[in-house]
Amino acid sequence: MPGELGNQRYIEEKLRKSFTLWGYEEVSSPTIEYLETLSTDLGSELAQSMFKFQDFDGRMLALRPEMTTPVARMITTRMFSAPEPIRLFYVSNVFRYSRSYVERGREFRQAGVELVGSGSDRADGEVISLLALSLRELGLVELRLDLGHAGLFKEIQKSARLDPEKEPIFRTLIGRRDRVELEKFMSRNDFSWDLKRLVLELCETRKLGEAASALESRSVFRKAKKFAKSLSSVADILSDYHLEDEVYFDFSLTGRIEYYTGIAFEASVPGFGFAIGGGGRYDDLIWKLGEIRIPAVGFAIEIEKCLQALRSQGSELSIIPDDALRVLVSSTSNERAVETAGLLRESGVVAITDVADRTAKNLLEYGKLAKMNYIVIAESDRKKPLFIHDVRSGMKKRLQVKGFLQEIFRSPDR
Amino acid sequence: MKSKMRIAVPNKGRLKQPTIDVLRRSGIKILEPERVYDSETSSPRFRVCFMRAFDIPLYVQHGAADLGFTGHDIIVERDAEVLELLDVGFGRCNLVVAVPKNSQIRTIDDIADVPRVATEYPNTTRRFFASNGKQVEILTVRGATELAPRLGLAEIIVDVTTTGETLSKNNLRQVAVILESSCRFVCNKIAYRTYEQEVEELIDRLKGGR
Repeated sequence: MPGELGNQRYIEEKLRKSFTLWGYEEVSSPTIEYLETLSTDLGSELAQSMFKFQDFDGRMLALRPEMTTPVARMITTRMFSAPEPIRLFYVSNVFRYSRSYVERGREFRQAGVELVGSGSDRADGEVISLLALSLRELGLVELRLDLGHAGLFKEIQKSARLDPEKEPIFRTLIGRRDRVELEKFMSRNDFSWDLKRLVLELCETRKLGEAASALESRSVFRKAKKFAKSLSSVADILSDYHLEDEVYFDFSLTGRIEYYTGIAFEASVPGFGFAIGGGGRYDDLIWKLGEIRIPAVGFAIEIEKCLQALRSQGSELSIIPDDALRVLVSSTSNERAVETAGLLRESGVVAITDVADRTAKNLLEYGKLAKMNYIVIAESDRKKPLFIHDVRSGMKKRLQVKGFLQEIFRSPDR
Repeated sequence: MKSKMRIAVPNKGRLKQPTIDVLRRSGIKILEPERVYDSETSSPRFRVCFMRAFDIPLYVQHGAADLGFTGHDIIVERDAEVLELLDVGFGRCNLVVAVPKNSQIRTIDDIADVPRVATEYPNTTRRFFASNGKQVEILTVRGATELAPRLGLAEIIVDVTTTGETLSKNNLRQVAVILESSCRFVCNKIAYRTYEQEVEELIDRLKGGR
């Protein structure tokens, strides 16, 4: 629909502008690719949700279910010598099949960034802040970001020597915040007392600093101190962006996409039941694609969710400033109509020629319905002035094209 | 001032009355008669709305309701991404595979050809048989599943049972348990973030009122 598309474009343009101002460059990738190039390390759930079909020679193809893998592959194959870090963004459609009763869509618009070639906490901080600030720029209020840590989660599983078959259960219990079952599960699977306490503390805490001190005081595994340092450093960086009150720690964010290796985060607003966007650090993906070790971090924003969230906040969604003048041009001589319309368009006025041979009365009716500002009737004699009808005020005038243009650009509400 | 949180309560069936009771014991009394779908409560922080238990995971996942009470079996069937914050204790039941008493099938392994399975839980049923390497034809029914074998609609049913009495009365025998279930207190993921403290306080009161 024209109106909805306008809203979508508006959001996409605003995001494009934010990403560009932070030095990110736009890329695009093919919609259809070989299945194996898209499915590297995606995690079973996302891999199952891909639309798959055969090429004429029998090779399996798929529609891209997300953009991170295509962008990462672009870097390994075609941007080999670009100076790092590389900052890229995309605004694309992705395709997913879902059995869920809730998510019935198949095609989604996403806008996202990837910061490739830096594993620093500052890179994490930049990407998280860009997500927050670009969403704020759209007009979303009371925005909050929740941040978990896939690397920390995996390290805890490792130090508990958890049977890999039981990992999905552990992940689900933490994701569901089912504390009672989680405690039972950890006892059944011989988690040490300290590790159990640490997991429960991490589940409870909402501040990055508190999560860091929990790790600091219960350094039950080798890398715990390293994670603590990195979390508190990310917290410091976020306060440099004045985002310390908007970013929370949330250990339940263990991520559905298995390729995250470090921080994983999600943006949401109160009163809207879904996350609007999210992302994380994926330091192993590029290695799996191209055998070069390049750390990377990124996020994706769901455009439709943004629109719905803006609506739920009562935001004016006829956001497109519809200030372009629309003029309906009619003449018994097509040549004259085309010529007049051409002159108007040169001055930036939207000119629509009447192709239905309407009578004067019908023109007026149509002009009102189609939200025209003026109806212009040109006589076949070029010397004669145009007949001009102001649809809103009902005023009628006779002016030459030049005079008409002067008049509409002088008008106070322009 | 934060807006009121909406709690979804089953409007019929075995979960309805225990839910109303546990809410009352937790200090939330429903003020309007239940034919009003959306009702004020004695608490200034909560409203309740009545709907089918089967729809509650959907409403909560979308955030149309912030909180709700519904069966674990239904959450699994609906594949809903909601937080299951508390096992409220009542509504215990098992989702089971059952066959007529005179059937040759003793265990899942005995299933040979492609039998028809009648159920109100097509998703869970599909996943269960697929993970056991069995091919079945699933017929989705809306209630009175026990009738299907008797009338020759299906050779197998998948249904919930509490005591096994209804199965037995209908000449059916349980061959496998797919899932153990009970009523859960669920929450929308984003609503939990927004109202964490209040939700946690309510959980404590629900624990006391169980």
